[in-house]
Amino acid sequence: MTGIGGRLERFAHEYGVRIGQITTVIVILALWLPILIVAFMSFAADGVLSFPPSGLTLDWYFVFLNNDSAIDSILTTLQISIVATPITVALATMLSYGIGRYDFRGKDTLQILVSLPLIVPLLVVGISLTLFFGSLQLGGGFGPIVVSHVIRTLPFAALIILPTFLSFDQSLEEASKDLGANEIQTFFQVTLPNILPGMIAGGLLAFTISFNEFVYTYFVRGTGVETMPIYLWNQIQYTATPEVNVLSVVFLLVAVMMVLTAVFVTNVERIAQT
Amino acid sequence: MLISFFVLPLISMFSLSLLDGLPPGGTFTLDNYAMVLNDRYLSVLWRTVSLTAQTTFVVTVLGYSLAYSMVRFTKRTTLLLLLIILPFWTNYIVRMYALINIFQNGGVLSWVLNLFGVVDETMGILYTNEAVLLGLTYVWLPLATLPFYASLTNFDTDLIDASKDLGAGPIKTFFTVTLPMTFNGLMAGIVLVAIPAFGSFVTPGLLGGTEQVMVGNIIDQQFNQAFNWPFGAALGIVISVFMILLLVVSAMVGTRAVAGRGGENT
Repeated sequence: MTGIGGRLERFAHEYGVRIGQITTVIVILALWLPILIVAFMSFAADGVLSFPPSGLTLDWYFVFLNNDSAIDSILTTLQISIVATPITVALATMLSYGIGRYDFRGKDTLQILVSLPLIVPLLVVGISLTLFFGSLQLGGGFGPIVVSHVIRTLPFAALIILPTFLSFDQSLEEASKDLGANEIQTFFQVTLPNILPGMIAGGLLAFTISFNEFVYTYFVRGTGVETMPIYLWNQIQYTATPEVNVLSVVFLLVAVMMVLTAVFVTNVERIAQT
Repeated sequence: MLISFFVLPLISMFSLSLLDGLPPGGTFTLDNYAMVLNDRYLSVLWRTVSLTAQTTFVVTVLGYSLAYSMVRFTKRTTLLLLLIILPFWTNYIVRMYALINIFQNGGVLSWVLNLFGVVDETMGILYTNEAVLLGLTYVWLPLATLPFYASLTNFDTDLIDASKDLGAGPIKTFFTVTLPMTFNGLMAGIVLVAIPAFGSFVTPGLLGGTEQVMVGNIIDQQFNQAFNWPFGAALGIVISVFMILLLVVSAMVGTRAVAGRGGENT
């Protein structure tokens, strides 16, 4: 091998691994630096976000805790997520049970339909839902928001729960029935304990997505209902003080806790493939 | 339930885009689509296509390199996977706000540039084309890395050694063995980034200001300020057509299982 091609090959042979490792470190740092900076700036003593701050303080955390509209938006978000998550987990479990256990016509179509909301841009689904609820005279508000959150979270929960149905040994269910248990007893005493980790992980991720949901809520809500991401959006548009950074830290902590718990009850590969 | 709450809404969007007013009042018209071809909206459409292409390119190169290094050059894959998915599960608007902290006047970026004496002023790059591009790259990089990683894990790396034993250098091996063998994962990642990037409105809205608008921002305006819902719906159809084209093309070049993989796509 000679010429420029050969020299390039030799260079890649000698330094390829090093370059790959350095790229990895740089990209991971680039992913995390902005997040760390947001967290750091929540302690900035100045009312503006110029860097570096003149000093550090916890004042913005107290401002945040005394801010009624911020706290209200958290409570609103929690109400929505706590209603939407069990509905999503129940539906995702039934869907997975159907897809994992039975062969039926339209099964493939159903699987594609479940994953479609993952691919279609959120904006498109958001405006479609607005139009749809409008045509049903439902307007905005709590109910339509919950429905839109269920649509948003269902594919994620189903993708987590389905593999647990596919991987678990069906002869256990048959054994249970042979020993005299009926369908329902078998489901609660044999099937459920086996799929529970998947359901918990699916629920945690569904809750995380619902808690962070912005686009569907933004279009569907009409006026009045203000969830935490909507509140954050409004704040960024008009004022950006370190109090917004405190709000960001709350989001970060919720997401990290939820995802780490989900990883703990299943495994990182499973969560990564969702 | 999915049919009633997912497919029906899409149909209602399409039918509204063909009306000149909100039902039950509107009559049939193609004016909304004619308006899309207005110079102002064509330039927005062009910016959207161009930003989508640039984002997809940068994300693919960086994400594939990252995935390749994770599979080939390191043993700490679990930790690295965790470090990649955690930012991805973090609130989208928080991640945008993080970039605002960096890009704005007097922000971290201008501080760093000052430190190295590159510029004397405290100008940031907020509300520029570059800010939007960096923002889109930042949010979609983790999403693309995961299918790249999955396809590289499934690929038998003994083939790389075999190719090298037969005398091919690392670069030739990469382009004749590794890349073709992981082509489906590559296409899946590209599609998963290009579609939501084309439909984004939060990133250009927050990082691009009033200058760097994309199609999504016009839709947002039509729905929440101008209240011209039929025109907004027509633009929604434009995004859907782009998505369908991309899916068809990727299916034709041999991608399977794009539909089975997903991720957040704000």
